Amino acid sequence: MKLTARFAHRFFSRPTALVGFALFAVIALVALLAPVIFARGPFSIVGMPLLPPGAPGLLAGSDVLGRDMAVGLAYGARISLLVGIASTLFAVGIGVLLGAVAGYYGGLVDDLLMRITEFFQIIPSFVLLMVLVAFLQPSLGSTVIGIALVTWPQVARVVRGEFLSLRSREFVQAARTLGEGDIRIIFTQILPNALPPIVVVSSMMVGSAILTESALSFLGLGDPNLLSWGSMIGGARSAMWVAWWTSVLPGLSIMVTVLALNFIGDGLNDALRPRGPR
Amino acid sequence: MSLVSLRELTVALPSGADRALAVDSVNLEIGRNEIVCIVGESGSGKSLTAHAIMGLLPRGVHASGGEILFDGADLLKETPAAMRKRRGRDIAMIFQDPMAALNPVVAIGRQVTEQIRAHRPVSEHEALKQAAELLEQMGLEDVAGLLKAFPHQLSGGQRQRVMIAMALSLSPRLLIADEPTTALDVTTQAQILKLIKRIQAERGMSVLFITHDFGVVADIATRVAVMRHGRVVESGATAQMLRAPVHSYTRALIAAVPHGDNLLAPLPDAPPLMAVNRLTKRFARGGFFARNAVTAVDNVSLTLKRGETLGIVGESGSGKSTLARCMIRLLDPEEGEILFESADIAHLRARGLRPFRRRIQMVFQDPFSSLNPRHTVADIVTAGPRAHGENADEAHARAVEILRLVGLNPQTMDRLPHEFSGGQRQRIGLARALMLKPDVLIADEPVSALDVTVQAQVLKLLDDVRRQMNLAMLFITHDMRVAAQVCHRVMVMRHGKVVETGPTRDVFAAPSSDYTRALLAAIPGRGSL
Repeated sequence: MKLTARFAHRFFSRPTALVGFALFAVIALVALLAPVIFARGPFSIVGMPLLPPGAPGLLAGSDVLGRDMAVGLAYGARISLLVGIASTLFAVGIGVLLGAVAGYYGGLVDDLLMRITEFFQIIPSFVLLMVLVAFLQPSLGSTVIGIALVTWPQVARVVRGEFLSLRSREFVQAARTLGEGDIRIIFTQILPNALPPIVVVSSMMVGSAILTESALSFLGLGDPNLLSWGSMIGGARSAMWVAWWTSVLPGLSIMVTVLALNFIGDGLNDALRPRGPR
Repeated sequence: MSLVSLRELTVALPSGADRALAVDSVNLEIGRNEIVCIVGESGSGKSLTAHAIMGLLPRGVHASGGEILFDGADLLKETPAAMRKRRGRDIAMIFQDPMAALNPVVAIGRQVTEQIRAHRPVSEHEALKQAAELLEQMGLEDVAGLLKAFPHQLSGGQRQRVMIAMALSLSPRLLIADEPTTALDVTTQAQILKLIKRIQAERGMSVLFITHDFGVVADIATRVAVMRHGRVVESGATAQMLRAPVHSYTRALIAAVPHGDNLLAPLPDAPPLMAVNRLTKRFARGGFFARNAVTAVDNVSLTLKRGETLGIVGESGSGKSTLARCMIRLLDPEEGEILFESADIAHLRARGLRPFRRRIQMVFQDPFSSLNPRHTVADIVTAGPRAHGENADEAHARAVEILRLVGLNPQTMDRLPHEFSGGQRQRIGLARALMLKPDVLIADEPVSALDVTVQAQVLKLLDDVRRQMNLAMLFITHDMRVAAQVCHRVMVMRHGKVVETGPTRDVFAAPSSDYTRALLAAIPGRGSL
């Protein structure tokens, strides 16, 4: 408990981390409560198209089809956060497993796994992602899987590096002499020590996954049955010059969310950095 | 008049430290042309005293009172720019870890000439010539090659010589040496001490030498000051203090230096518990296709009886740690047998090894990296029994018992390793090993990272535990004095081969090889303590 308190103190004593956390909390709350706050769904038409923000009953104006932008933004947050977090969880799962095995065993196993990792890294990831999503049919699930498949190598690299340096530490040798098995050593001895960089990388990855999802939806490769920030911008292309809010507001939402996640990542990096003489 | 006089020097620590003053009203004179030692344990304030003279106190720590007179001028009143000019020219310093003090990506030659050219208007060519001369004076060979080499290509002793050369490049009047030999093998330490003494005499400079080892003091110092908790408890001429120490703490420090008397007698004949026959371990060197291999352990045989301590003595690179890691099967030997009772465990795989794991246990060298920083003491100590599927409550109860046995308070079980001192951490490491009730305990340099007084306590503990539990112990060390403390028999290794083996008494009284004689001669303070 003491450790948690000290960690929280270190994290929140950074102004950017505090701002990032507050912004993220607000966005997450709006996303969670969207169906409670708004009576109508994001696709229902509420009035004339392209009404500016502040028009009666329309806090954020209406889009090209006359739908409430505010509802769209709130529902878009659900999709962005869901895709960001789910794909990162997947990617971290794959990356930690492969990185840990490669770093712990080394030798041939490491060579083989790293060649596979490099295979994913040398292919232009966005092109691969578009092909994957198009092949699997655009849907929420295919977007999540696609993003996870192109981002896990980052995690695998980080985890492998940590394992390579930690596995030769004397406490790992001690665990072996005590008769602990490989799986136990990987998960209870080494992984807890490798967590800080994994946490930092994943917080940043959520942000980049949100960007990637937006780009896919903008190109029309998102789930056609769901409204996301990217597809809102994509739909607003024709009205960009006459109704700025249709593209700027979802764009700002993306920016603020990703910024908040990066601030959180920075804060975690500082708060988790090992202290003391060694 | 002395070259340096510290008058009531006081150094304050930032609020929240474990004490208010790191250095408390210290008076010390360093005369011209003499070597003065400050002796003390870690945390005594000896290093901060030295850093205060150098004007290099860490951030947040400052000299809050007193004077540091250098040739009459108070260094504490000088501007940072004036101090920067003095460093290197008037006062130079060498450190414990030469690897950390050298830039790993710059050739040795460049690093030495940079130092010279920062203070003197000489050409690169001229500076290089001076550098070569200096390195030769340091007793280094193949200086031309050395100037082009990078720090990682040098041995620890060579690196420390380069550091001394750099420190002396501007002929300073005071050399501060902060534990310069603590990280080195005993034989290398003896050479470096001899070198510092020779250079000091040749140049007539003053040396302030910081150490925790009275053996080193006896070898090098003309005068000595003993520090404890930031204060000087006793000071005087070395010979006088060694003969008749006044303060009880000084007596304790001197007593803590292993003396090599009352050596253990060899045990009566008994069948060995563990035996190694013609063991060989090679390491591949270089890339994937490189064929050359280094033979780290070359055809080594030994036996170990129940209740016996066998010391394996050698310098770094002698293969002693590799041998130990083969015996506990952290490494796979290429050839030979490792007999435990009568089973050969040299080539067993993970599953076959499991029953033997708990019977052979190890205490590691580094008290910091040998404990998982994220596990509590309770987790660390009960890891063995848990790995062997024992009941958690029983393991916990035994942990309490074993922690008491190694002299730790069981109520500290919920703490993390970083809350303990080096000596306490070694006790935790020992407790972890003892939890499995082993028959054989392998101790790999268990005290080399500890202060001399703490060393003495841990050595005594190891010996007590060995007696109580009737353990067979393999004790690995580079220090003959330490081996003499606890071992019934010693085996001297060099370049992976056994040089000599026999009862400790016999090896000390009549070493049969030149190498063993050199090791014995390298013991600091031999003869005067």
